[in-house]
Amino acid sequence: MHETIPPQESAPEGRSVPAGTSPRGGPGRARTAGRVLVRQDYLGVLVATVVLVLVIGAFDTRFFQFGQLMNILSQSSYIGILACGMAFLLAMRELDLSVGSVYALTALTCALLADQGLNPWVSGLLAIGVGGLLGLFNAVLIQFFGLPSIVATLATLAMYRGLALALSNGTQVLGPPIDDPFSTILGGSVWGVPTTGIVLIVVCAVLTVVLRSTPFGYRVRSIGSNPEAAQFSGIPVARVRMQAMVLSGALGGLAGVLTIGYFGSSDPNLGTGYELLAIAAAVIGGTSLRGGKASVVGAALGSILLGVVASGLAYFNVPINWNQFATGAVILAAVSLDSAVRRRRQGARAGNGVRL
Amino acid sequence: MLEAQGIRKTYGGVVALAGVDFAVRPGTVQALVGENGAGKSTLVKVLVGAVTPDAGALRLDGAELRLTNTLGAIGKGIAVVSQELSLFPDLDVLSNMFPMREPRRGPWVLRRAMAERARPVLDELGLDVALDEPVEGLSLEQRQLLEIGRALVADPRVLILDEPTSALHASETERLHGVLRTLRQRDVAVVYVSHHLEDVLALCDEVTVMRDGRVVVPATAAGSLSVDRVVHHMLGEKAAAMVEEGAHSGAPVTRGSGPSLRLENVTVHGELDDVTLEVPAGVIVGVAGVAGSGYRTLLAAAAGATRLDAGRIVLPDGAELTGGQRGAITQGVALVSGDRRRFGVMLDKAVWENVGQVRSVALRRDGALVRAGRLRSRAEEHVGRLGIRTPSVDQEVGMLSGGNQQKVVFAKWLEAEPTVLLLDDPTRGIDIGAKAEIYTLLRALSEQGTVQVVASPDARELAAICDEVVVFYGGRICAQLRGEQLDAHTILEVMNTGVVPGGAAPPPRPVHGGAVRTHEPPGGAQ
Ligand SMILES: Nc1ncnc2c1ncn2[C@@H]1O[C@H](COP(=O)(O)OP(=O)(O)OP(=O)(O)O)[C@@H](O)[C@H]1O
Ligand SMILES: [Mg+2]
Repeated sequence: MHETIPPQESAPEGRSVPAGTSPRGGPGRARTAGRVLVRQDYLGVLVATVVLVLVIGAFDTRFFQFGQLMNILSQSSYIGILACGMAFLLAMRELDLSVGSVYALTALTCALLADQGLNPWVSGLLAIGVGGLLGLFNAVLIQFFGLPSIVATLATLAMYRGLALALSNGTQVLGPPIDDPFSTILGGSVWGVPTTGIVLIVVCAVLTVVLRSTPFGYRVRSIGSNPEAAQFSGIPVARVRMQAMVLSGALGGLAGVLTIGYFGSSDPNLGTGYELLAIAAAVIGGTSLRGGKASVVGAALGSILLGVVASGLAYFNVPINWNQFATGAVILAAVSLDSAVRRRRQGARAGNGVRL
Repeated sequence: MLEAQGIRKTYGGVVALAGVDFAVRPGTVQALVGENGAGKSTLVKVLVGAVTPDAGALRLDGAELRLTNTLGAIGKGIAVVSQELSLFPDLDVLSNMFPMREPRRGPWVLRRAMAERARPVLDELGLDVALDEPVEGLSLEQRQLLEIGRALVADPRVLILDEPTSALHASETERLHGVLRTLRQRDVAVVYVSHHLEDVLALCDEVTVMRDGRVVVPATAAGSLSVDRVVHHMLGEKAAAMVEEGAHSGAPVTRGSGPSLRLENVTVHGELDDVTLEVPAGVIVGVAGVAGSGYRTLLAAAAGATRLDAGRIVLPDGAELTGGQRGAITQGVALVSGDRRRFGVMLDKAVWENVGQVRSVALRRDGALVRAGRLRSRAEEHVGRLGIRTPSVDQEVGMLSGGNQQKVVFAKWLEAEPTVLLLDDPTRGIDIGAKAEIYTLLRALSEQGTVQVVASPDARELAAICDEVVVFYGGRICAQLRGEQLDAHTILEVMNTGVVPGGAAPPPRPVHGGAVRTHEPPGGAQ
């Protein structure tokens, strides 16, 4: 029983306005909540998700059942959490391709430790710590061998996955018993909202504050915007990169631990391909591959959109073998619509992109 | 022959061009001048098809001309040197000379033929670099010359230069002017945008002045104008409170007492040779020299961007400079660079985010949360004080005019309240009125106890604002000019010969043979 979610996805439109800047440059303060919303990078994906839910629901009202929607939320949470970390990295022009493997390896770590009789909660914390260390190792490779992050994490993508296979002998490892509070809490729900979904929401809230309001978040975006200028402004680029990689690893660990709580066992093939889905979710959510800006909420919504598409396909009786294709098509539609909207907005406001 | 009629261009609410008529004629060098944000670059972009105007038309030889991009313009014989350099940093010099129009045979690019055409043009400009050198490693000055070479090699009938000399030294400027005069004889039409008004009057046949998106003085014979008249037209009612000459405090440069920045026996192999220099607070010290003489390495070293092979640098508070570039900045050192696009601004971020970048983000002086509201109001103060022309502090910096972007760089460093201010061509692209204000500001900061070291390719600027100018030659200090000796002419002469005319003061230092050209901007890539 693990991951049931072959993610899929897609999303139309994105009318995002560069965060925090208004091209019209109004006086700035005192905006109403509505206006704030309209200016968000994730508006596109939000609208897309809502519309898609409505359309699928119109087709088959069972889709509107609270339980069904919460189920989607729960299944999207893992990729969602990974995507939040990915948004930080993309914002500083870095990538972490190893998150899917970190996810699997930390889930295994959690299960193994608990299996050894360690308190499951402690195992969970340790697993998150291991995730952070794996991220740190990525950062060290990047720093000391001068590798681009995409190359370094491509290597660790395989290494971490290999470790998970080797340590588990390629088999599933059972976690804490189902009646352990660890499993009942993490696998349970509060007022019908699954714990995993709550964790995703909390992660989103915290990381949004970190990205938007702390020096760390500003540093990340500064580096993505103009790395040389960031260094010349005294921003410790290498340190920030290390922090962001550790964050990404630790989030992988968090997702891994939640998986053990929810599914009760780890599988060495857990999360294969999640790195690309996390990137897709972040990009659908308005994070730019060119760096400089990101939206954590958008990344989470992106993963939810992927989840909606995945389960929606079942309602449309799409033959299972067409799932992947449909997912890809939806991603393509979402991203190209977003980019078309952006280009129009850019064009409307100037020859700015033109050199000269 | 190239004419623009009734050109309008607005960006959002900002009117960049409000109905401009402009014409260039063969065999004429026409100057285009105006304050920062007057609309000069926008007009240039319209003339070469980089920007489509909202209204108005272009005519070439009487026929209507519709340009959709700069490539089209080149096809019509219109070439441009843009204000913000548009070279490809990863490609080498030669490939940058013929973007999109390399000579070819079938699918093959003819490098040999390219080199044959490129070399003489670069030589004429005095750009002495290998053709296969990557552009990334070139200094701003060299990149500027390359950009000019690229326009020349297209053999244009109309050549438009947008602040081509903003990063150039006097000798290179002279060479360029020589080239332009030759082109004039060959009946090329030249448009020359610049803030160096003396140059403009010396070179150009006609002057057009713009203000607030309009032409206020259409093509007038340069002979009938003076710098004062031009400034008057540029600024309009804002009466010109010109400082320019005589901004020195007259304060004697006293050393040995009070806080100062001290470089002790600083050596950087091949660039600086055992240099000892003390820069006291309260005076403005300039550094000058030809490329590779070491003066920029000195700035880079003081900014912590270059590793010292020997010696040490002591800051005004008595602490030794450590920790590289970030260390220097945390210790209160600021390096304001003229290469703003590369080292200065984040083009896609609002003015306020740029202004707060050092103080609140890099140094975290405002605590664990960055409060946008506070940064906005701080930025508003700077916008007012430096006269940054922007609709609001929420405007993206990439949408400001070149000179206004440079002021943003200034603002972000002033916001960090440095104790040592290193200025590397800090007023590049800033108009004459705003320059005067910035000089006044620098003087005030200096009086409050900031140590200041200024480098500028413009010897006149150094002579005007510095109390002392230290001239480098072959990696060593060859003269410290002050008082009587401090004028542009002497600075230039000492820079080029290493000897003070009249043999007066300076201890004759041996010329250091091993000096290597520094292509890096201070604090170059690292
Ligand atoms: N892409 C853009 N988006 C919005 N506003 C712009 C854009 N480009 C230019 N502007 C505005 O148009 C006006 C004219 O700009 P322009 O670059 O033509 O000035 P300039 O005369 O070249 O000034 P400088 O001497 O500083 O280079 C400025 O107010 C500027 O802010
Ligand atoms: Mg300009």
